[in-house]
Amino acid sequence: MKTIKDRVAKMSFLGLLLALVTTSFYAPSAMAHGEKSQAAFMRMRTIIWYDLDWSSDSVAVNEKVNIDGKFHVFAGWPETVELPDIAFLNIGIPGPVFIRSESYIGGRIVPRSVSLKLGSDYEFSVVLTARRPGDWHVHTMMNVKGGGPVIGPGKWVNVTGSMSQFRNPITTLTGKTVDIETFNEGTIWAWHGLWFAVGLAWMAYFCKSPVFLPRWIMAHSGRRNELITDADKKMTIAFMAGTVVLVLFSYGSANSTYPITIPLQGGVLRDIPALPDQRGNVHVKVNGATYRVPGRAMSMDLTIHNGSDTAVQLCEFQAGAIRFLDSGVCEDETLYPENVLAPDGLSSSDNSAIGPDETKTITVTAQDASWEIERMSDIIYDPDSRFGAIIWFNGEDGSRQSAILNEPLIPVFM
Amino acid sequence: MSSTQSAVRSHAEAVQVSRTIDYLGLFILFFVILGGFHVHAMLTMGDWDFWSDWKDRRLWVTVTPIMLVTFPAAVQAIVWEHFRIGFGATLCCISLVLGEWINRYFNFWGWTYFPINIVFPAILTPGAILLDGVLILTNSYLATAVFGATAFALVFYPCNWVIIAGLHMPVEYHGILMSIADISGYHYVRTGTPEYIRMIEKGTLRTFGKDVAPVSAFFSAFVCIMIYFIWHFIGRWYGTTKFLQQT
Repeated sequence: MKTIKDRVAKMSFLGLLLALVTTSFYAPSAMAHGEKSQAAFMRMRTIIWYDLDWSSDSVAVNEKVNIDGKFHVFAGWPETVELPDIAFLNIGIPGPVFIRSESYIGGRIVPRSVSLKLGSDYEFSVVLTARRPGDWHVHTMMNVKGGGPVIGPGKWVNVTGSMSQFRNPITTLTGKTVDIETFNEGTIWAWHGLWFAVGLAWMAYFCKSPVFLPRWIMAHSGRRNELITDADKKMTIAFMAGTVVLVLFSYGSANSTYPITIPLQGGVLRDIPALPDQRGNVHVKVNGATYRVPGRAMSMDLTIHNGSDTAVQLCEFQAGAIRFLDSGVCEDETLYPENVLAPDGLSSSDNSAIGPDETKTITVTAQDASWEIERMSDIIYDPDSRFGAIIWFNGEDGSRQSAILNEPLIPVFM
Repeated sequence: MSSTQSAVRSHAEAVQVSRTIDYLGLFILFFVILGGFHVHAMLTMGDWDFWSDWKDRRLWVTVTPIMLVTFPAAVQAIVWEHFRIGFGATLCCISLVLGEWINRYFNFWGWTYFPINIVFPAILTPGAILLDGVLILTNSYLATAVFGATAFALVFYPCNWVIIAGLHMPVEYHGILMSIADISGYHYVRTGTPEYIRMIEKGTLRTFGKDVAPVSAFFSAFVCIMIYFIWHFIGRWYGTTKFLQQT
């Protein structure tokens, strides 16, 4: 017996040591939220996030971070994803490390699901309050019913301080101010503890006499009805009556403590206002597009007609979250996440200004390792091989115009 | 010691062995039920029990008792039939609640930092005691199904109201009426559980206005009667010993 005990102790100790050693040497924190594993066509052709701005990348507990921007609901929405008739503006963070204090689409607060229209642009804003210290990757995110989460770009935000300092007060319509973080916890623990004790007492009463072997023998020798005595039945009646009385008391006490309550609230907000046309008067026709796999480059033959009254110049191409910029024309000033920014990733055969009412055909190339790193090059394995993107032009008068691209894509493997 | 000799040498020793078997058996039974019942509960009514903003007066009241009268019915059938033990349902429910608390405290709070007041489980003991009590007093599975399972469902909402009432206080939140539970669900971000997944207040019991919880409870009670029967038979089948004839 002692030998067996010694062996069990030895093996347990070794197992514990092994677990400790393996986790000490390699225990990485989560670096992202699976956006790279999301099909490229979903990132390109569903919700396109743009003009994003994170108000800060370092805050203390209880301080706020705003994420503002716009998103375009792609008109060429893929057939394999449900239409965004019911969608929810979420935020991609590892659990409640921030709380979502406010979120708005089109200026309306959206704690509930919304209905989005294809081809429309919406302005959004999310206000987060820091709760747990650490470095957190904060993504924009739209959950689409039947389609899943559509994750946008993510940015690292550092939270300092201590979670014990976090407070989340709110005042009810009955004039009571409570801290949501801890409100009602005492009541929950107390009543759960009480009922657990009552349950244990009920079981303990029956366990005071033998439980298994003698009862089994009696039950299987035709004497099972002798096993429940009159005293047992009286105790049962007492417990049942006590249970009913305690339930009625708890119900009444809750009603007197909280005389005004409302049911849980839910629903869909279907009248969210979209932005007026965000595109402008530059029209782009795609004559052909290829993705060169070895070079990680997408090339497009574009016929661009400038219908505006100012000269424009090609500045940026955005596919999914990746922004390819022509550094000769523009640069990012929004501290956009570096992993999805190619500051010199856009080139064209002729990027001279296109005058008002002028039409020009040029070859544009968006080339960067991020095609591969962000797994956007997997677009060539999609069942519906099309790409979706926004192409941006800077006007001489300081305006910014864009066009949506939604065309077939041919891979080049050699 | 030959195979015909007893393993114990005195009555006192026999009693001691019997009690040891009782404690070991109860310990094992408790944790086996905890594991099995917990998996069953999480797969069938998980989110309603996980989150305070899912605990509504329609679906939570209806779904939870129906899904949770199952194991108590089966375990009662086994322990009542073979041991005349009268606490089968309570054993199931307190083992489940303990398992849920372990999960909520260590996973939901300790690991992902959701406040306990959002992720607490439902109280189940009162319904379980009533279910056990009816079986002891009537010694009838039929009466237990009709009266016990009905009581199990009817008592569910009143006994839990004490822990959820405060979370149903009204708040004006940026121009929208919300309960504290709604705000908690909105504040404490659940990336994988968007708002539209939340199944609350759905149904067509509009005729009853605000008094929909009792109607839901009675409907739940009706279904519980049938579920009790089905699972009681599963328990009886599971507790049957069959020997094969050697040919």
